[in-house]
Amino acid sequence: MNLFPLTGRIDSQNAAKVEAQLMAKLPPEGMPVVLDAAHLDYISSAGLRVLLRIRKTHPDMRIINVNSEIYEILDMTGFTEMITVEKSYRVVSIEGCEEIGHGANGTLYRIDRDNVVKVYRNADALPDIQHEREMARLALILGIPTAISYDVVKVNGSYGSVFELLNARSFAKILSSQPEKFDWCVKEFSVMLRKIHETEVPEGKLPDMKQTALSWAQFLADYLPQHALEKLLRLIEAVPEDHHMIHGDYHTKNLELQNDEVLLIDMDTLAMGHPIFELGSMYNAFIGFSEVDHEAIRRFQGFDFETSKRFWHETLSAYLGTTSATKIREVENKARIVGYTRLIRRGIRRGEVKTERGQAENRLWTQELIDLLETVDTLTFSRNELTIEAVAENLDEVQTFLEERLSETACPPKARMQIGLAVEEIFINIASYAYAPGKGPATVRIEFIPDGVSVTFTDHGIPYDPLKKADPDVTLSAEERNIGGLGVFLTKKLTDDVRYEYRDGQNILTMAKRF
Amino acid sequence: MEFTHPIIDLHMHSAVSDGTDTPEELLSHVRKAGIRVFSLTDHDAISGCRQVHALLKPGDPHFLFGVEFSCKDAYGKYHILGYGYDPDAASICGVVNAGHMNRLKKLDLRLDRLRTEFGIAFPHADADMLHALPNPGKPHLAKLMVRYGYSETISAAFHTVLNRLHVPDLYTSPEDAIRGIRDAGGVPVLAHPCFGDGDQLILGDALEKRILRLKDAGLLGLEGFYSGFTETLRAQVLAFAEAFDLYVTAGSDFHGGNKLIPLADTGLLPDTPFPDGLQRFLRDMHCL
Repeated sequence: MNLFPLTGRIDSQNAAKVEAQLMAKLPPEGMPVVLDAAHLDYISSAGLRVLLRIRKTHPDMRIINVNSEIYEILDMTGFTEMITVEKSYRVVSIEGCEEIGHGANGTLYRIDRDNVVKVYRNADALPDIQHEREMARLALILGIPTAISYDVVKVNGSYGSVFELLNARSFAKILSSQPEKFDWCVKEFSVMLRKIHETEVPEGKLPDMKQTALSWAQFLADYLPQHALEKLLRLIEAVPEDHHMIHGDYHTKNLELQNDEVLLIDMDTLAMGHPIFELGSMYNAFIGFSEVDHEAIRRFQGFDFETSKRFWHETLSAYLGTTSATKIREVENKARIVGYTRLIRRGIRRGEVKTERGQAENRLWTQELIDLLETVDTLTFSRNELTIEAVAENLDEVQTFLEERLSETACPPKARMQIGLAVEEIFINIASYAYAPGKGPATVRIEFIPDGVSVTFTDHGIPYDPLKKADPDVTLSAEERNIGGLGVFLTKKLTDDVRYEYRDGQNILTMAKRF
Repeated sequence: MEFTHPIIDLHMHSAVSDGTDTPEELLSHVRKAGIRVFSLTDHDAISGCRQVHALLKPGDPHFLFGVEFSCKDAYGKYHILGYGYDPDAASICGVVNAGHMNRLKKLDLRLDRLRTEFGIAFPHADADMLHALPNPGKPHLAKLMVRYGYSETISAAFHTVLNRLHVPDLYTSPEDAIRGIRDAGGVPVLAHPCFGDGDQLILGDALEKRILRLKDAGLLGLEGFYSGFTETLRAQVLAFAEAFDLYVTAGSDFHGGNKLIPLADTGLLPDTPFPDGLQRFLRDMHCL
């Protein structure tokens, strides 16, 4: 190989000399030439002109082992577009460095006070590094605070990318060492999650998580009963297109507190899609992975299984903006379907099912998945909708759920109280008559309309229009009045509009209240 | 339709400054290279142009009087090209002489410091020889230091002594150079705009500010085609020329045997359409 070293500085003082020396040694015109810049410290524009002239006689020219400063110059001046320029990579040792994060593709180490390096597991990680950089840049442009790597280095034969992360602590570390910060962590963690999921992604920039989830499900073809597999595929297929961002690996090691700013890191799994796909992966991180071996979470995040479970539930509660256990369980169950699908595939692909623990996990996850598929009709969910067993004991939960939604609106206290009274009448009505003598579910949904809200109750009990009932004679004494009839009368008086319809085997009662 | 344009090269040096060819030899190279429009742009010197002009014969390529002034101010270093000036105008001769006087003054200061601070002295004959040079500077002093055993190598001479001799900056300012050229009826053009005086890299906003500052001082053009430019650099300069309505010129910076740039190597191919700024320059300078 025609390898020619460039050394020291090349500037106007010595450019002519360097050029003459090189030209004397170069092979005949048109032959390939490789310039080794391993010991090149500086190049001025006079030096760049030397390179340009060599390239004119030797178009098949490469420069290798270029350090970052010189690479930047070659990049800015357009050289990297004309000739092959290969960077040299600083070698960084991670011996004795603290491991601060653990992502899908690599591990994060702190190399000094201000810098961290993400070491990629994959030996030829340059395309991955490039990908993550693009993802991080995209996220930053879209308003998600993140760190972007500024250098690529070599670490023990692998590649690493270096980030500036000043004085930062991961949420995993905060939770492990400062239990009093638990509530603060839940709040910030869920706020960031909402921010990610509210971020719209330009068309074609990120992979569609639904397609990924479908491929996980298809992998299970040989491992699930036919009816379960079909249901699983149907559920995923039915999830609507969604162009909002998903982090893809959202756990407490990937959220960092830097001074007062919360930063999201590890962006290589960035995708778009319905938030249920994110919640599925989150379930795995907090619970799924550690469901059989409860110590796994401590090894992974540094805190115990109980803390992890509590953190997941409170995060979900804050994310959904509700304390309703029914609502949280509904979304969690949907997340578990996605989560287990991924976990089962992962265990099989990694050969973990060969171990005793892996077998136990596989058995548990598979059974849970099959059971869950029996109970779930859709993977989507709405913050504004609660499906709950229509029994009087659940009235409190329904009321609280609606209160929580109304607290996000400009609803004045009086209107809130009136809605509460109306909701009580309608829900108790359903609880008393719809499925009698049995039991069944009711769905309450709140919608925001101009200057007010509308609340819809749905049940699939016996067809019954409470509005048809004649208004009670309020001139009668309390003992003589029909109780049910008074409830509906109240509802009509308290709200601005009440409608009933029976459609698709469902009683649908909608009431509107303007503030 | 095929665009075919005359070959032009508006930036080259003769032995009057740091080239290796005499003006006469240079003219014969230009003739052989098939160049149709050319200019000789010696550093801070115009005497080579007079020689070339005297040698021109009917049928020769079109010749423009040229010069390349080395300038400096608080913002940095510049090379300012001047074209088509009246070589007898007092203003342009004033800039040339001032430049030469500055170099002689600095030479005297350096010789003085070398003697008093480092005990380095040269025979009178050598000092006289230095004064007779058109462009005496640190490289000449370094050679003498090696010759008389004060230093092992040229670079050691620079390193250990010459670069530590701080003599006051006596530079032509870009404003003076631009005014001198304009007052002599010439067109001032910023040479290799991305490279400053040859060693810098000035791009983007910094380049824009620099161009605007010089334009305020009377600059009329940018050297958009240059042997040392990549596509990226050329595109930047051409974009600024268009945005600020400046002439565009093309030059190789040929130095003869010292640097291995061929004549007419400007990045401008005979079939590339000339940008508007270049067309205007050639037309206004009566080259077409």
